[in-house]
Amino acid sequence: MRKIFLLVLVLALSFSSCEKDDICDANTPTTPRLIIDFYDITNPSVTKNVTNLGIVGEGLTTGILFNAVHKIQVPLRLTDDSTKYSFVLNAGNANTSLIYTDVLQFNYSRKTVFVSRACGYKTLFDLNNDASLPNPYIINNTPTASQGIWIKNITVEKYNLETENETHIKIYF
Amino acid sequence: MKRTSKYIFSICFVLSSFLMQAQAKKTDSIPVKTNRYGLRVGVDLFKLSRSFYEKDYKGLEVVGDYRISKKYYLAGELGNENKTVNDTQLSFTTQGTYFKVGFDYNVYDNWLDMENMVYLGMRYGVSSFSQRLNSYEIYNAHPYFADVPTVISGDKFSGLSAQWIEVALGVNAKVFNNFYVGFSFRLNNLITNKKPENFDNLYIPGFNRTYNGNFGVGFNYTVSYFLPIYKKKVVVIAPKKEVKKKK
Repeated sequence: MRKIFLLVLVLALSFSSCEKDDICDANTPTTPRLIIDFYDITNPSVTKNVTNLGIVGEGLTTGILFNAVHKIQVPLRLTDDSTKYSFVLNAGNANTSLIYTDVLQFNYSRKTVFVSRACGYKTLFDLNNDASLPNPYIINNTPTASQGIWIKNITVEKYNLETENETHIKIYF
Repeated sequence: MKRTSKYIFSICFVLSSFLMQAQAKKTDSIPVKTNRYGLRVGVDLFKLSRSFYEKDYKGLEVVGDYRISKKYYLAGELGNENKTVNDTQLSFTTQGTYFKVGFDYNVYDNWLDMENMVYLGMRYGVSSFSQRLNSYEIYNAHPYFADVPTVISGDKFSGLSAQWIEVALGVNAKVFNNFYVGFSFRLNNLITNKKPENFDNLYIPGFNRTYNGNFGVGFNYTVSYFLPIYKKKVVVIAPKKEVKKKK
């Protein structure tokens, strides 16, 4: 008899450790952004910070500005299998001859993965990795190019985008 | 501290004296006391009423127990539920049938011909169900392209099942003739849970809403009818012994 009471008590107490699960926790890995890490073309093993790198999605007027960082997060379109951005270096500089623009298009496939009650689903991306598909990235609308105006080289580090704790693409400039 | 324990002791003393008195009286005035044994069947009014006032819920649960000894009852529930959940990120419908079997242990000492129950029970529950994902949203913490799409899905996941253990705490009181009204609270713990691919069993018929772990809670409010089958004489000395044993 006493044992059953104890069991009920233990069960009741175990509820106090339950977490609230109606709000999607910010630490839950959900739809990742594309993580690009910038490296020095003259010294390819060393990261290089970008100065006023503005990225503007195709068809949008407001961009995202990164300054004094070597790692940037690029949101991809959830409703399309490609996303095009203008990468503007030294954006807003008074001397317009210092502003360099390269257009980068990322091609990928999407899959929808269940996360939780509170978060719903997330989209994971797979950058194209097949000769029959468009290149994973296209610079300045030239599929054969591997460098642009200020971007000297691009490499894909990880084709499947799962979290934001990994580097997917390296850009050397 | 000392004072309270003294207080409790005195209450217990008074109560026990009542008990003794009652039993003494019983032996004097009523020579033979009989316990009725039989089948009690009922319905869960909580689920039934929710079916009327909750647009997204349809449910029915039939409950029953069979008295096997003075304190023990074989008990079970059989039910069917159809529930639609509309959360901010998800909308889904779960539909299925479940049954639970186990026992109830009556901890209430009935006086004279009272037939009430305050019970602790255990159940083993099995549920077979299907889920339909109506729509979902893709969680996008950085909606730069302002695309937070709501996807109308309609995917159906069938052949799902779950099994769990329940601990029940409840009351069942005779209101008139052979009619009983009762309610119970349940704590559930999942044992097996066959989940659909790329989705989760967020609601299990009979088990109710699932949380991150294996736990769940339940409640029912029953009205039942008792069908007496046979009577058993109560040996008057026997309960006295039991009272002593418990202490």
